[in-house]
Amino acid sequence: MLMAMLALLSAGGAAYAQGPVKITLWHAMGGARYEAITKGIAEGFNRAYPNYTLEPLFTGSYAETLTKAIAAIRAGNPPHIVQVYEVGTQTMIDSGAIIPVTDLVPPGEINFADYIDPILKYYTVRGKLYSMPFNSSTAILYYNKDIFRKAGLDPERPPQTFDELEQMGRQILRSGVARGAVTFGWPAWIFEQMFAYHNKYYANNENGRAARASKVLFDQPFGVYLASRWATWAREGLLVYGGREYAPNRAFLAGEVAMLMQSTSQVSTIERGAKFAVGTAFLPRIPGQPRGKSVIGGASLWVLKGRGRSRSELDAIVAFFKYLNQPTQTAQWHRDTGYFPATQSAVRLLESEGWFAKNPNFLTAFKQIQLGPDTGATRGVLLGNFVQIRDITDTMLERIFSGRMTPAEAVRLAADEANKVLDEYLKTYK
Amino acid sequence: MEGHFPDRGLPYLLVAPSVAIVLIFLLIPSGEALLQSLSRINPFTGAGRFVGLENFTSLLASEEYRHSIRVSVLFTAGTVLLSLSASLAMAALVNRSLRGIGIYRTALIWPYALSPAVAGTIWALLFEPSTGLITFALREMTGAAPNWMMSGSLALLVVILAAAWKLLGYNIMFFLAGLQAVPEELAEAAAVDGASAWHRFWAVTFPLLSPVTFFLLITNSLYAFFEVFGLIDVLTQGGPARATDVLVYKLYRDGFVSINWGQASAQSVLLFVLVAALTVLQFRYAGRRVFYT
Repeated sequence: MLMAMLALLSAGGAAYAQGPVKITLWHAMGGARYEAITKGIAEGFNRAYPNYTLEPLFTGSYAETLTKAIAAIRAGNPPHIVQVYEVGTQTMIDSGAIIPVTDLVPPGEINFADYIDPILKYYTVRGKLYSMPFNSSTAILYYNKDIFRKAGLDPERPPQTFDELEQMGRQILRSGVARGAVTFGWPAWIFEQMFAYHNKYYANNENGRAARASKVLFDQPFGVYLASRWATWAREGLLVYGGREYAPNRAFLAGEVAMLMQSTSQVSTIERGAKFAVGTAFLPRIPGQPRGKSVIGGASLWVLKGRGRSRSELDAIVAFFKYLNQPTQTAQWHRDTGYFPATQSAVRLLESEGWFAKNPNFLTAFKQIQLGPDTGATRGVLLGNFVQIRDITDTMLERIFSGRMTPAEAVRLAADEANKVLDEYLKTYK
Repeated sequence: MEGHFPDRGLPYLLVAPSVAIVLIFLLIPSGEALLQSLSRINPFTGAGRFVGLENFTSLLASEEYRHSIRVSVLFTAGTVLLSLSASLAMAALVNRSLRGIGIYRTALIWPYALSPAVAGTIWALLFEPSTGLITFALREMTGAAPNWMMSGSLALLVVILAAAWKLLGYNIMFFLAGLQAVPEELAEAAAVDGASAWHRFWAVTFPLLSPVTFFLLITNSLYAFFEVFGLIDVLTQGGPARATDVLVYKLYRDGFVSINWGQASAQSVLLFVLVAALTVLQFRYAGRRVFYT
């Protein structure tokens, strides 16, 4: 009976084929970003291309979206496009379920060279661009100018180094205007950022880009040193831990903590939510360490094979990517969310409108990601089952911040766990 | 005694839907879980390579899993003890004829009607380290600024409080019913013999409540072991530093976030064995000691 129902369903599908070609997009963009995708992008595309219909579907968090996509791939009926966060990159490449973007888009149809270099380089692995750049972000420092002023600090001069952050933080605590100096969003990601930012490898095989990574390198002296600096912050009460992802925004927005290291995707959210003057700055550096640059986070769009995609469906996907690539669309997505304007043409468009002059906080991340050398260590790490490894490093940081383990112990333990995960991964995808 | 069906096929036809449901939703997935627990699986293709008991041995050898077992036991013991004693006390309090007692009784049963996610959200908001009402009150009164996002033991305490609170309504209902079934003559007789109220409760009333208590002990343990996923996910996501990483949450994380299906299946098989063992033990115990005649 099941078989009969399936047959009926597919017959129904065939009858539909007369109308516009339908493609589905599964994404993880909640909140204001949901509106930007459904109203801004999908409706605009459907108007511009009457032959095609794009159906966006919100499928939960990044992790949930990936899990659902995998289930759909197994069932043989995946969406055409799925949004996957940057930590899923290696897994998607190895899945055997995707069509690399450069294999799909005919040469010359999209000028990929127009993409901002760090974004393009992140999703290019061994010479091939695998997924369509979409929502890229990086971490920056947000600070509360009112607290700075009340503590007797110059509100236009945020800390540039770890040392300055500590000095200013102590002054803030002494003056009693805030309960904590700094907090982190996505702590494990900030930890990763610091490696690229100081031009250090996070994993072997050139961060997994020359070949699949088999060992993490964060238990090298730099990792232990970084963790110990942060442990000191926690011990002195400078660092107030507020949980993973976006939870720490609350302490910052409530004026409890003076500074916040968080994704640029929160610029508009934070500016709207804050009852004080918000400043943004580059991430602070560790004096005496080499200079690298921050890496991108966020997500990109992956094309899934499915069983027998028709030529017209593939054409629809290409048309959609071309639509996304238009400077007006890329710029609008940036204005709606705070994610990077991903192409140089979009940046020029925004500049010509005076957008950055009016919204300097949107510019900070963009300047930060372009300053600094392009090296193997700054292109971003690729790890098998990165999701699990990020959970391991988050746990490691929580152990350190709460004083349950010394930085050296916690880092050692986490590296062992992460190496086991990599080992397991290599065995699975041999 | 025996009834007869006109047709030999009809009884089979009548039980077929139930059998089909059990088969499709219980037996086949269980079999698949068992099979997956013995394999290393590529999540995309579903292709598995047989690895024998490797998933189980690596799981039992991992400190993380053993930690998760300890957390589960601690969490369950804390939740069940707290919730049973608090609900018994409250049930005894509302088992009196006060004016408007119906309102109190209804109000006490409310938490049970909330979904775990809603209950979790309420507690998360109350205990939010920077903006929570309880955090604020504590800070104003004692000057201390407890941050349960940073302290594992505090986080465990908060999830135990939340889980126990969530159970209150259910437990009070059963205890109240049990209390009202206690024959008044017994207490009166004891009172005539000069037993104090406290003594009457422990010597007369409480033993009569033992079947109810035992039943609640089972259901509460099962709840604390297997049904707290929503609460943990909203409140702590197993953190900080895995301090609240109970077995069901770890299973979810390994299976659905890390997509490590072989390991997750092995965990679900172990959990299944655990439930079975608990149930068997408890019912044997129940048969012998708890019920009175």
